[in-house]
Amino acid sequence: MTKILLIDKLDNCVERWKAAGITVIGPVHRANISVYAAVEHASEFDFGLVLPDRSIKELFFPQTEPMLRYAIKKDTIDTIECMPPSGPRIIFGSRACDASGMAIDDPLFGWDYKDTYWFQRRNESVIVTIACIKADDFCMCTSLNMEPDSTKGSDVLLRPLENGKGWLVEELTDRGQEAFTQIAEFLQESADAPAQTAVVEKKFDLEASVAWLQKPENFDSRFWKEISMRCIGCASCTYLCPTCHCFDIQDEGDTYSGVRRKNWDSCSFALFTMHTSGHNPRSTQSARWRQRIMHKFNYFPGKFSVNSCSGCGRCSRQCPVDMGITETLQEISKLSL
Amino acid sequence: MSEPFEPKIIAFVCTYCTYAGADLAGTSRLKYAPNVRIIRLPCTGRISPMFILKALQKGADGVLVSGCHPGDCHFTHGNYHARRRWMVFRALLDFIGIPPERVKYSWISAAEGVKFAEFINSVTEDIRKLGPFEQYSQLIGDTQAPASL
Amino acid sequence: MVIGYGKGTTGNRRRPIFISSPDDVGRLVLDDSCIINLSGYLVSEGLLSDEKRVAVFLRPEGIRAINILAAESQLDADQIVIFGFDVNDNELRALKGIHVEEFADVIGSIRENNPGFADKELLEKIEKMTAQERFAFWQEEFAKCIKCYACRQACPMCYCRRCIVDSNQPQWVNTSSHSLGNFEWNIVRAFHLSGRCVECGNCDRACPVNIPLRLINHKMAVEVLGAFDHVAGMSKTQEPVLASFKKDDSETFIL
Repeated sequence: MTKILLIDKLDNCVERWKAAGITVIGPVHRANISVYAAVEHASEFDFGLVLPDRSIKELFFPQTEPMLRYAIKKDTIDTIECMPPSGPRIIFGSRACDASGMAIDDPLFGWDYKDTYWFQRRNESVIVTIACIKADDFCMCTSLNMEPDSTKGSDVLLRPLENGKGWLVEELTDRGQEAFTQIAEFLQESADAPAQTAVVEKKFDLEASVAWLQKPENFDSRFWKEISMRCIGCASCTYLCPTCHCFDIQDEGDTYSGVRRKNWDSCSFALFTMHTSGHNPRSTQSARWRQRIMHKFNYFPGKFSVNSCSGCGRCSRQCPVDMGITETLQEISKLSL
Repeated sequence: MSEPFEPKIIAFVCTYCTYAGADLAGTSRLKYAPNVRIIRLPCTGRISPMFILKALQKGADGVLVSGCHPGDCHFTHGNYHARRRWMVFRALLDFIGIPPERVKYSWISAAEGVKFAEFINSVTEDIRKLGPFEQYSQLIGDTQAPASL
Repeated sequence: MVIGYGKGTTGNRRRPIFISSPDDVGRLVLDDSCIINLSGYLVSEGLLSDEKRVAVFLRPEGIRAINILAAESQLDADQIVIFGFDVNDNELRALKGIHVEEFADVIGSIRENNPGFADKELLEKIEKMTAQERFAFWQEEFAKCIKCYACRQACPMCYCRRCIVDSNQPQWVNTSSHSLGNFEWNIVRAFHLSGRCVECGNCDRACPVNIPLRLINHKMAVEVLGAFDHVAGMSKTQEPVLASFKKDDSETFIL
């Protein structure tokens, strides 16, 4: 016998959490896009999506956030620090690839400088992941040695029941246990079976690809130009990626006062590595695409022992010209034969 | 008694006509509302829509753009180019929801000191009635960078 | 080189491909799923250098784009070999001609009966709104914008080496993707495209957050037609609408 949560009790849970001052967030439709956003009622959730268009990353690392406000006075510069709004949150209905993406970025944001903006939000959030029972042609978690029901980065794992009426509950962490203790009266014992998790075919040979990337002579291969000819250099893939984390610091204001902001930035932009002198070490799109792949599958794992990719497939799904990590690694897998 | 709302208005004007007209208004001792800050360009042809956007970005409640009458441009045809830009930009702002009443365009020549003063007065009153540009102020407020006007 | 369409990741996707050898011709595909406007690639750095000739598969919007790029001195139309095609009622047909001048009839007919684009309903809805409602509508849409610039990168007419939003001396538009910065970006881009947009829809399709960008560009195209009788891309010598003028241009709102 295991614990289950029935879907028609979900609204009670949302009410209970809200009454405890917890913001409940989940996959919803807003203005013609699917996103993780705060809800008032459980009826707003859409758990039928393979995954929302936008990733969970924005809940921890927003596209733009103020860091401090400054005012330049005669003898001093006054600053007011801006921290993210504080308050506990439950993200109900994450996918395994989104949750694992956050766990992949934790060592980076805690590396040489502990990013309090990231960690305040991480520490105040409980991630409740729902295992996938369907996938689409772009999903590639299994190629990254993960599964549609991986627990990495999640505080609670819910497995959809075969009868479609709710989920099997697996509490994974103390934080997850605490959140579900608050709604314990809405859970029940059951012998209902979980549905089969989605079958996601492996799309490429990760080990062979990484080995190819690590060989120094392949850095200058003609492959990079050929594979990235159609890349238009937008930031769709990087901004929708749960693990991409580059940012830019910008001051906005006027001569005497303003705000310093942390904004998403992308290695695909021509300006990304442009020096003040005008020299640009990555002046071609192929050099920038190579950087993206190398970073994710060679440099990042070199530092943090984990690939900077969770296999969600958003890069390929959204790319205006049908590019993405999948195709590049498939081609590299072939080259490494 | 609460103070009446004083709109902040920025005017982009050309040197040889409207600015000279403003000078004439001054030397003629014509009274006009002090709400307008005038920015002088050599010609309306120099006025980029970016200036109008920048004024709004910094918290202006209204923007004025004015220059030589068509045919009288000091640089021959700067104002013809400006006219086309204004038509297009105005339609764009209208479609986006920035009320056309907040961005006004005029031809005021160097001899039209009276017209200048009347224009400033009537525009100031119109925008006073419209009130502060709250929708835009909210956007500016959300950036947490202070509007500087 | 030949720039054309190849099979994409899924059944109905097509991707741009670049063929440099006759052996690769088999990779080319042409059907009614071939929608992306490929003309933008022609202004990529170095593609047309050394007087190379490049062939490209283009729909009528793409052919108009070539006219505009040639008129704005961004490429030499003689270097472009056009494999024109069009799709009507799901039927694909080839267009006769190789050089851009030879498509004058096809392009001319667009002036008469511009098919326009899909979302007329939304356009009507917006046109009935008050200014405040429109602002609120666009605020909600632009709040989604993440400043990925996919719209700009996908557009053949956005070829500036240094886009105005990438300049910081002076900085006209905030780079941050808060609503204000997003508003300004989208206004600027729409203005810079007025009278130059061929309504190919690349921007709309590229946008990862589904902002109805085509609406704004379409509205500007309608405005420019009404005010100046200008349709973008009619010939390779057509004067750009905002770089030219008529002494009797209409003015209805200038005080």
